[in-house]
Amino acid sequence: MRLQLTRWTAALGLAGALWCASGVARAQVVTFDTAHTFYHEAPTRTNMTVYSPNTALKASPWSWLDVNGGYEADIVSGASVATKAGAAYQATNPGADVISTASVKDVRHRGFGGLGLKKDDVTFTGGFSYSTENDYKSRTLNLALRTDAFDHNSQFEISYARSFDLVCDRVQSSTDGFARFRALEDSKGCFTDVPERRTRDLVVDGFQGSWSQSWTPELVTQAVYSAQVLNGFQSNPYRSIIVGQGIKGQEHHPENRARHALALRGNYYVRPLKTVFRLGLRGYLDSWEVKSVTTELEAERYLGERLRLALRGRFYKQGGAVFWSDDYTGGDVPLGPKGQYFTGDRELSPFYSFLVGIRLGYAVEAQKSRILGILHNVKVGGSFDVVHFNYEQYTLGGAPVGNARAFIAALNASLGF
Amino acid sequence: MRCPVVLFILVASTASSLGCVTVKPQERALLADPIMQFEGDQATAAQLRHAIENREGSYGGAGVSGGGCGCN
Repeated sequence: MRLQLTRWTAALGLAGALWCASGVARAQVVTFDTAHTFYHEAPTRTNMTVYSPNTALKASPWSWLDVNGGYEADIVSGASVATKAGAAYQATNPGADVISTASVKDVRHRGFGGLGLKKDDVTFTGGFSYSTENDYKSRTLNLALRTDAFDHNSQFEISYARSFDLVCDRVQSSTDGFARFRALEDSKGCFTDVPERRTRDLVVDGFQGSWSQSWTPELVTQAVYSAQVLNGFQSNPYRSIIVGQGIKGQEHHPENRARHALALRGNYYVRPLKTVFRLGLRGYLDSWEVKSVTTELEAERYLGERLRLALRGRFYKQGGAVFWSDDYTGGDVPLGPKGQYFTGDRELSPFYSFLVGIRLGYAVEAQKSRILGILHNVKVGGSFDVVHFNYEQYTLGGAPVGNARAFIAALNASLGF
Repeated sequence: MRCPVVLFILVASTASSLGCVTVKPQERALLADPIMQFEGDQATAAQLRHAIENREGSYGGAGVSGGGCGCN
């Protein structure tokens, strides 16, 4: 208790010091951000709902230093597909209810912190995050370097991140092959010494480079290249796949995956319309032969001096992984077995989706005196998006997943002290 | 052999052209406005990305902060 009081005293002392510095050194020293997202998916038999709160605090005690920290969570409830079968199996086993959904209730906690150092046109940032949930733990270290060039008309940034993840899995019988591995029943005993549980590793390396360029007073563009290499356990340990007559095995993905993405985007402000148009294009491919294209278009303008309104649209299309099949037991192409790997993940199946959304933002900057005597600026915003998914091959026991939609609502606020 | 030469010419011409592109500081008022940020609003863009990336097989290419205004 005394230790806790000491920590609180130290934290209050730090906040107080920053507060005092705000009046001496710079106009704004501390920023508090909070965001809340609601995701609901229907009607895919899962009815997955996710609430994601996020809070962050950033302090800039000196012009060359930023320190930040925060917390976020994902509170999940709904169901997931525990056993996946396809049309061919269902046809030869009429009446067999091989699709089972499992109730999911989980909370992921994530804490993060970092700092930024700036000298002239160069900024270095570094950060660390730790997340934990019943069956998954992750530690991530990230570093980034950014610089301006050509009279601040160009900006270059490179970044690197490495994650060390731990995934809970079930101990399998040594005599079983992958096709007879049993899926994890639940998260009881995960990350303990219980003999039925084991921990699998996943290491993720990510690299990104970007170039932003101002071409005219109304036009800016950006090119971003991202690469990611994953090594370790990447399957869903809870999911089983029907791979043969009466044979059910835990989902089995390759342990290595290399991913590449190249994105180009541009902002163009049309003065007669007083509107900025944003166009984004992204191409993606990986070593599992998933290929995708993404197109985004957004228009935003001020309504008055403080209110911003944006309308956006997004189209996404991907091909399936090389080992994707909606039914590994047989059937006509594209059904049938695909080698040693098998998955029931609809995110590895061919599909397209489109999104439409609206965003509103309101920002107030203090003029002669601070807002309410303490705030330098206030920003609040909200958005609402609807995503429609069209799965070309993915079915639930041969029944197409039609009318799959997700609704995403978000609220956020930022206070500058 | 041809590829490195083409690459060199491409890089050299791009670099030299960048030096010629100059938006003067007094012309940057619009570029410095938050509305010219690449993702509009970083917070809501990150929220949306977090929500939909878990439902797709792809990853990466997210915008980085800043709008090329050189005002950070």
